[in-house]
Amino acid sequence: MIILWLIFIGSLVLLPGTALLALRWAVRRGEFHNLQKAALSIFDEEEPVGLVTDHFPGMEIPDANRRAPRDP
Amino acid sequence: MSTPNSPSMLQALSPSDSGELEQRRVLFAEIDASCRLPVLLLFVSGLTWLLIGTVLAILASWKMHNPGFLADWAWLTFGRVRPAHLNAMVYGFASESAIGISLWLMCRLCRVPLLYQWIIMLAAVFWNLGVLIGVAGILAGDSTGIEWLEIPSYASPILFFSYALIGVWGIITFRFRRQPHLYVSQWYLFAALFWFPWLYSAANIMLVLAPVRGTVQAAVNWWFAHNVLGLWFTPIGLAAIYYFIPKVIGRPIHSYYLSMLGFWSLALFYNWNGMHHLVGGPMPAWLITVSIVASVMMTIPVVTVAINHHLTMAGHFRKMKYSPTLRFMVFGGMSYTVASLTGVLMALRSVSEVTHFTHNTIGHAHVGMYAFFTMVVFGSVYYIVPRLTRREWPSAGLISLHFWAAALGMFLYITALSVGGVFEGLAMDNPDIPFLDVVKGTLPYLRIRTGAAFLLAIGHTAFLINFVWILARLWRPYRQATPMIIAATQPESGPIKP
Repeated sequence: MIILWLIFIGSLVLLPGTALLALRWAVRRGEFHNLQKAALSIFDEEEPVGLVTDHFPGMEIPDANRRAPRDP
Repeated sequence: MSTPNSPSMLQALSPSDSGELEQRRVLFAEIDASCRLPVLLLFVSGLTWLLIGTVLAILASWKMHNPGFLADWAWLTFGRVRPAHLNAMVYGFASESAIGISLWLMCRLCRVPLLYQWIIMLAAVFWNLGVLIGVAGILAGDSTGIEWLEIPSYASPILFFSYALIGVWGIITFRFRRQPHLYVSQWYLFAALFWFPWLYSAANIMLVLAPVRGTVQAAVNWWFAHNVLGLWFTPIGLAAIYYFIPKVIGRPIHSYYLSMLGFWSLALFYNWNGMHHLVGGPMPAWLITVSIVASVMMTIPVVTVAINHHLTMAGHFRKMKYSPTLRFMVFGGMSYTVASLTGVLMALRSVSEVTHFTHNTIGHAHVGMYAFFTMVVFGSVYYIVPRLTRREWPSAGLISLHFWAAALGMFLYITALSVGGVFEGLAMDNPDIPFLDVVKGTLPYLRIRTGAAFLLAIGHTAFLINFVWILARLWRPYRQATPMIIAATQPESGPIKP
């Protein structure tokens, strides 16, 4: 019973504890150095900022940037 | 931090025609091709469980106001159908869809094709087997009777083994990532992949395999039930929202700083939630108080996410008319705010005394699991599947029907149970009202709930038809007169052998 209590209370402490370790790792790796760049990391030359990447089939989005069709 | 694989600000803002662009297209095509079979398998099986869960939900809901309906078959009694519905939805539909979305997102964000696909395929097959045995076991009368962990002890190890394979895959993909800087969605995804096995194994050991005694069971049960929502489904849902909303509208999130603050506050404090469900119960008061404090602290990540989503979308709400993904994502994001803030309120002792043990709690659970998470899953699937299949969705009308049926169904469901639950709680707290009168007073709300369940079923059927239709198109060469939005990322357009 005591062991099971320890597992439970241990989980309550260890889960945030591992999060703290991960936070320390992130700080040391410089994950928080350039936040603006991090926000842009999902964009690239293929799907740049300003490109709308989803629409209903057959529907045009007025005034939205669209990717040019590829050469056949 | 400058790395060769992360784009410079200039590159991200303006497209170029260099060879690098072609390489990127090939890489995305490789990633989609590598994810195709495992992710489609997870989505197809998830959708199958969604339909099974919907039928079970309608049965359970109908029985709430017509208890005699199908009551002569033991395996269709309310006590079995209702947990079978919950487990089919949580472990069948929601978890499998969550894993599928996580796979695709992780590969895209890590810039690596899916490695060792057979691991995921094997895990998906065994996961489905575990859920099938589990749900059948519940219907056969072998439920453990523990909320959110009703799957019998002979089926839960199969789920854990399957999940272990997925966890191994997650570590491998993360280890070989080509994008050194982590985007906020990666933090959420990696954390969820790490948290779930911890929660699931600890709860199973303490409640099913070597059960603790007395009130400790209730403490562990609510710790698991609350945390599986907050540390498994919520991070994956938020990861999807943080990726898809900026990606669809072509605009970075408003504040990356806020997104980081939201993630780390969730990671550090959410784990203490759960025991507030035991307000008034025979538990150490400090344990419940700590949980209430942790619940109130959740206001921080919730408000950061809400501000970030709203300000990212500011000026772009019009695009919801044109994008199915955006429509579902924004609905899901707003519901996350509602679910979390009402959750904070419900954790307070004075509110819990009224709402606990009423239908209000069921309504609240559905704001989190359906209006937030399931809507995000639908939005993600509408974005991912055309990229995996290289086909457009066949019917825009079916997508619209799906959205409006789901949105209206959820609105009715939540409103009926939230309002009805408060009246029920107030009546139960009044010793002058006989309990039977309290029960009869809930009937109108329960009938509205059944109506809402039928609306949700209509939406799910529309989704199923579109999904089967797009899969059927895999065997035909693609012929589309207008350029597809996915065309540039896909070098081929011939028939696919799945």
